[in-house]
Amino acid sequence: MREIVRRALQARPELTAELYRRGMFRREEKAEFPKQNKVSPQPLGPVQFATLLAQADAQLAAPAVLRGVLNYEELRWLDRLLGLAKRSDKREELARAVERTMEGRKGNVRSRR
Amino acid sequence: MSAVADEATQAAQNVLVNSVVKNLGSLAARAWAKHWIITLTAPTGVGKSTAVDYLERTLPFEHRVIRCKNITTRYTMLEFMGLAPGEKWKKHGRNWLRASDLYYRIVERVSERPYLLIIDEADRLRMDRFEMLRDFWDDARLPMLLVGNEVLTEKINRQHERLFRRIRVRFEQRPLREADLRKVLEFMGYEMADEEFALLWKLVGGSPGFAEALLENANEIAASHGVKRGIEALEGAVRYFPTVRK
Repeated sequence: MREIVRRALQARPELTAELYRRGMFRREEKAEFPKQNKVSPQPLGPVQFATLLAQADAQLAAPAVLRGVLNYEELRWLDRLLGLAKRSDKREELARAVERTMEGRKGNVRSRR
Repeated sequence: MSAVADEATQAAQNVLVNSVVKNLGSLAARAWAKHWIITLTAPTGVGKSTAVDYLERTLPFEHRVIRCKNITTRYTMLEFMGLAPGEKWKKHGRNWLRASDLYYRIVERVSERPYLLIIDEADRLRMDRFEMLRDFWDDARLPMLLVGNEVLTEKINRQHERLFRRIRVRFEQRPLREADLRKVLEFMGYEMADEEFALLWKLVGGSPGFAEALLENANEIAASHGVKRGIEALEGAVRYFPTVRK
């Protein structure tokens, strides 16, 4: 199973379903999803979605940001919520990805280690 | 009315002038008057950045505000401080400018026409940037107000002894008290029943930032069920914040 699919399946079900609904996954990734995880009971609001991403595995949230499934308002909330959350290296990388996306830049977001 | 005065009036209407804003304002005035480096630290979500936004629009003397991000580098700081709006940093070709040239240009300009440098979220600055700030103070006596959370104090204490010795005032802002939190939230437009506020206070203490995030989540949960926000929606929102659950 692909890493991103594995991480998505370990996240909260409503987040997985929302990411699926928003078309984050590629065709070959979609094929690996079990049926029950594809159904979104109710679309999430922007703050709920950003909150779930801020709490989720940073290595799932970062591809979501880079694959452009969040709009500017959601990015803004995610940025704020990451500021409120406890810091870790992975969250810092995610915050970098969010900041760069908000500035309209893409590409390698890794900081020097 | 002039544009600046207009903006200041608008800022005053948008922000509740609470203890955080007042303290930050008086520290800014002190740093400016005495050419000091001052730090203000407070827990996340207390309203430091809101207070900085307010000061940016209302301070009656020359000042510049840098809002730190993870992607803030030494170069972005130099660009911000040394270049006029619209001016580009020439890094190639004729008349190219080294970082050190830009640094000395800033020192020269600050010595001629000083301003207060306010750095919001200064805890996110990395090592070399702190050292550069120390150099600015040594070379140009640039007054500074560094604003951040507890990490800022830790970082400066542990890693930047020489900068630490140059800081004249280290102010620790306490979280808001219960009545102040309620006032801020009501000012922000959140109407709450007493039981909702009691739950919020229990969960987030004096942090309007956390409270706002919780209330916004609760609003969306309530909206998705087609009802008005109540205690159930707020309890539902708490599921999304495992770190504040008690």
